[in-house]
Amino acid sequence: MKRRVFLRGVAGAALATPFLSSLHEKKAKGAAATTPVRNVFFYTHNGCLTDRWFPKTTSGALTASDLMAGTLAPLAPYVSKLMIPRGFRSMNQYGSGQTIDPHDQACGSKLTCAPIDANNKRYATAVSLDHTIAAAINPAGKDPLVLSVGAASTSIKEIISFSAPGTAFPATVNPTTVYNQLTGIFGSGTSSGGGSTVTPADYHVARGKSAIDLVTADLNRFKALKMSGADQQRISDWLDLLRQTETGMGGTGTMVTPSSCSSATAMGPPLNITQAAVTAGSPSGPIAAGAFAGTNNTGTGATNLATSFTLGGDMMLNLIALSMICDTNRSIIMLYPGYVTFNWDGIMHTHDHHGLSHRTGDFSVGGSCGVTGVIDMIQQIDSWYAGKFAKLVGLLDSIGEGDGTLLDHTATTWLPELSDGATHNTNNLPIIIAGGANGYLKTGQVINVDTGTPDAGKSTSTCQDGGSIGYTGSMGGNLPINKLYVTLMNAVGMRNTDGSKITTFGVMDGMNANPGISNPGEVTAITTGH
Amino acid sequence: MRNWRAGAIVAATFVAGCTGTIGTADTSGGSKNNGSNQGSGGGQPSGSGSGSGKTPGSGGGAVSGSASGSGGGSGTSAGSGGATVGPGGTPSSDCAPGIAPTSQVPRLTNAQYDRTVRDLLGVSGIAASGNVSPSTLLATDQDGSLTSLAWSAHQTVADQIATQVMADPTLKKKFISCTPSTTGAGATCFHDTIVAFGRKAFRRPLTDDEVTAFTKVVTNGAQLTATGSNDEIAQALLYMFLISPSFIMRAEITGSADSAGHYALSSYEVASRLSYMLWGSTPDDTLSAAADKNQLTTPAQILAQAQRMIQDPKAHDMVASFHQYYLLMGTNTRWDQANKDPNLFPAFSQAKVPDMENETLTFFDKVTFGGGTFQDLLLSPKAYVNANLAPLYGLNASDYGTDLKEVTLDSAQRPGFLTRLAFLNAYSAYNRTSPILRGAFITKQVLAVPIGSPPPGADTTPLPSTADLDTNRKQVDQQTSASACATCHHTYINPPGFVMEAYNTAGAWQTKEATTGAPIDTVVDAAIDGQLVHLSNPAELMAKIAASPGAQKQYANKWVSYAYQREGDPNDCGTVTTLTTKISAGGYTIANLITDLTQTDSFRMRAEVTP
Repeated sequence: MKRRVFLRGVAGAALATPFLSSLHEKKAKGAAATTPVRNVFFYTHNGCLTDRWFPKTTSGALTASDLMAGTLAPLAPYVSKLMIPRGFRSMNQYGSGQTIDPHDQACGSKLTCAPIDANNKRYATAVSLDHTIAAAINPAGKDPLVLSVGAASTSIKEIISFSAPGTAFPATVNPTTVYNQLTGIFGSGTSSGGGSTVTPADYHVARGKSAIDLVTADLNRFKALKMSGADQQRISDWLDLLRQTETGMGGTGTMVTPSSCSSATAMGPPLNITQAAVTAGSPSGPIAAGAFAGTNNTGTGATNLATSFTLGGDMMLNLIALSMICDTNRSIIMLYPGYVTFNWDGIMHTHDHHGLSHRTGDFSVGGSCGVTGVIDMIQQIDSWYAGKFAKLVGLLDSIGEGDGTLLDHTATTWLPELSDGATHNTNNLPIIIAGGANGYLKTGQVINVDTGTPDAGKSTSTCQDGGSIGYTGSMGGNLPINKLYVTLMNAVGMRNTDGSKITTFGVMDGMNANPGISNPGEVTAITTGH
Repeated sequence: MRNWRAGAIVAATFVAGCTGTIGTADTSGGSKNNGSNQGSGGGQPSGSGSGSGKTPGSGGGAVSGSASGSGGGSGTSAGSGGATVGPGGTPSSDCAPGIAPTSQVPRLTNAQYDRTVRDLLGVSGIAASGNVSPSTLLATDQDGSLTSLAWSAHQTVADQIATQVMADPTLKKKFISCTPSTTGAGATCFHDTIVAFGRKAFRRPLTDDEVTAFTKVVTNGAQLTATGSNDEIAQALLYMFLISPSFIMRAEITGSADSAGHYALSSYEVASRLSYMLWGSTPDDTLSAAADKNQLTTPAQILAQAQRMIQDPKAHDMVASFHQYYLLMGTNTRWDQANKDPNLFPAFSQAKVPDMENETLTFFDKVTFGGGTFQDLLLSPKAYVNANLAPLYGLNASDYGTDLKEVTLDSAQRPGFLTRLAFLNAYSAYNRTSPILRGAFITKQVLAVPIGSPPPGADTTPLPSTADLDTNRKQVDQQTSASACATCHHTYINPPGFVMEAYNTAGAWQTKEATTGAPIDTVVDAAIDGQLVHLSNPAELMAKIAASPGAQKQYANKWVSYAYQREGDPNDCGTVTTLTTKISAGGYTIANLITDLTQTDSFRMRAEVTP
């Protein structure tokens, strides 16, 4: 049974003017709002069985029974808050732009809509959307919250966030790290609604202020030196962080911590974020990751991987909700690694997700279906991820905020690396958006954004009984995802400095990577026009 | 024998590609540099954009393998890291050596942070968080500005370390070794501690202003702590040190520019570079004393310290980490994931893979610290064997225990690390060898031949299996004979791989193809350093590689990249050339190569990143 926890006195901080801390050009200022709207990406690898993922309805009202019939069944209870846009294609599909590697391109270009650099670890050559949004709407313009599970990675295969062209922004994989940051905020906030539990006379506050003074003095000594612009930026960004800490402690500044951000909120249902639960999801030893053409199912590494994916991942979802409640971040990514062998929650595979998605069982492409029962195995993984997305959606929907729920004040999007893992195509992407962004986006519908009838794809057309893999992709669905991102930017309140809506993001496909997109503007078909 | 894998901090560093196009995400170990499992390196490349060199043309290493299973066998192809030159491209001779521009405020990487707090305070695990290494609680290394999460994590970890240190008398002494009191001998205790520990934490003496600032923490101790006790004040002080930018950043800020725009580093800054390069950690007392006396300004002074430091046990970790970087080894790489069909290779098991890797890392360690050379890496017949590994080397398991024991193998069959079990198992497939995997690795990672990407779809080329193709070699030869494939494969990639057919996929010496009984043919004409060379067996191949200027230059290049934490920066070309020449001359120990890395102008000086 869902329990609604009503947040009292959500501060709905007046959005700070974008701070100078960002390394890239500001797109827009955030518009003032009484309740912040957050953008969340839930990212999974290796595509899915598209013909079981997409509901049969290709356009029009989305019903619970539509969802119950396929992989998205766990989302049925939330159907009125879901929207499935059919027909987006993400930039730089292998062979349509570059020919470096389909996965590296899919990850690097996904949120940047820019080519990747073969000479720089295949990282993207532009800033990613989560940073663009964070700079505009986050309190004090600070970095997005990028979370994952498993082993920490700086490989392009697990990076979709870029804080600057060529600079990866790796995910944090330890729930304890995120928890520590949030607990540091409890009780240190002030808000219009409630009172702070810490009085200025508290020695913790005094010690914190003393620390800020010391660190600031240290940084100011660096600031006074003649250094490169980039180094000066590093120093000034650090100084900005101190100012944020100071405002959080009742100092001057615009960042306000909602009164609902407290240890009581954290530890109670539905979040149940206790120290013990966080520790249970934070394995202390090495965590295995990545398995090619084989298994890594033995040993502590594998056990810790399972713990990280299950207890750890679920705790990350809870921490995402708490981050929203505490308004520490409005641009959030939850990313699951793609090269792991599933051995948890009743799934016991002998090949990793990536290898299964190829149908061969390893990283080779084409030829024969290499694993008996591979379609069923992929389905298990698809369903597992659908369950996790539903868990996140359900959690956010069970926490009241203003006249609705947390979920209502987000655009929470399941964004996949690929459509089908064997074909490595990025057209006809299986995307689902929950929450409606405070009424900006339509909900309860499937909306065809491209021309032609959406294709369910051929993911299960082969390999049910071995044989040759053949073609498992789909036709059509080629509207540039840039336009979805433009829509999301507007949905969370970004605007150009003249107040007009954002119309462009990144570059389009094409060997010449022309700047801008040929048909700028958001996708009005998925907006309510409010 | 030391177990190198124990305590490895696992960081995912993917090296195998998906389709045939490619292998590693990083070409010169970039992602490994940023990962948290490096010895001295990682994380802070030069500058922001300018000066940070392009990766060398050798590009990425690992390639997609052939499919496992009998029905499989869809094409294998070599990957490359995006090199643009075709095969046979040789580096140009227009080298303009210089001082690479570098950031003046690089932050400690997670690996460096762990080692630094271990050496400063004796803390290896955070008791309050399940005894994890401190960096587990920090944000993942990244090159941009410190993020709010990372800053918050630093404060949390500093707090936990300070608490833990003060609660343990042994650790506490490493921070404060006197008893503060208002009068008498203890009256200067806090002051002395600030000066002495500050000297260590900031890797330079504190300025008067800084001493004053930290002294204020003591003066205001009653307001900043619960009860104002000496221990609480000391704990607050330690916390302040650990969150200080001058601790977290390895700043290089002194000096004034010479006519060329270069800055001579201070002795303190040289000391920091020395210890972080050779140990991945903070200077020890001896090195700090030399810095205090300003005796780290000449190459001779620096060399004396480097030669002392390389004999310290802490240098062994760095050497192991370097070779992992050089050869794309490490946890969660292909080297770690070898798996073979148990029916065909009962002597193999995945549980043995850690021993294989340990053997190879021990091999590198013994060569390096035993006065060996680059050539020895390719030619030494020494192996490190236990009961697990013995059968795969054709030895008697009952002659061995669990520990690795040094053995001298037949130099005709086992010259160098490329004929050790770890490599042979890593770069081959589940139930057959892969000449393309082994050959491409040798071609790109070792010989540094810049082969380009295969054409799209190359990876789907099926492996032909007609009756006349009675060896793996013949199958692969046929598979790669189309005009689009032959140039790279028949000239560069396949030949070394065919020589390595002398070892089956589990690394055992073989003279007959197991499936057909046909004899293994290891005679090839291989392109090495731009010339076709006739080779008959692995010993001849390894001799050729050991003597290859290309391979020697690659080794030098990788050391420069690793030691200086910048990949293939053109400014370092002079250093690479000098080291390569020395390797070519023979008798040049790896230990000397390492200490010679401290002798360059670019080690003693810095250049600014132009905005």
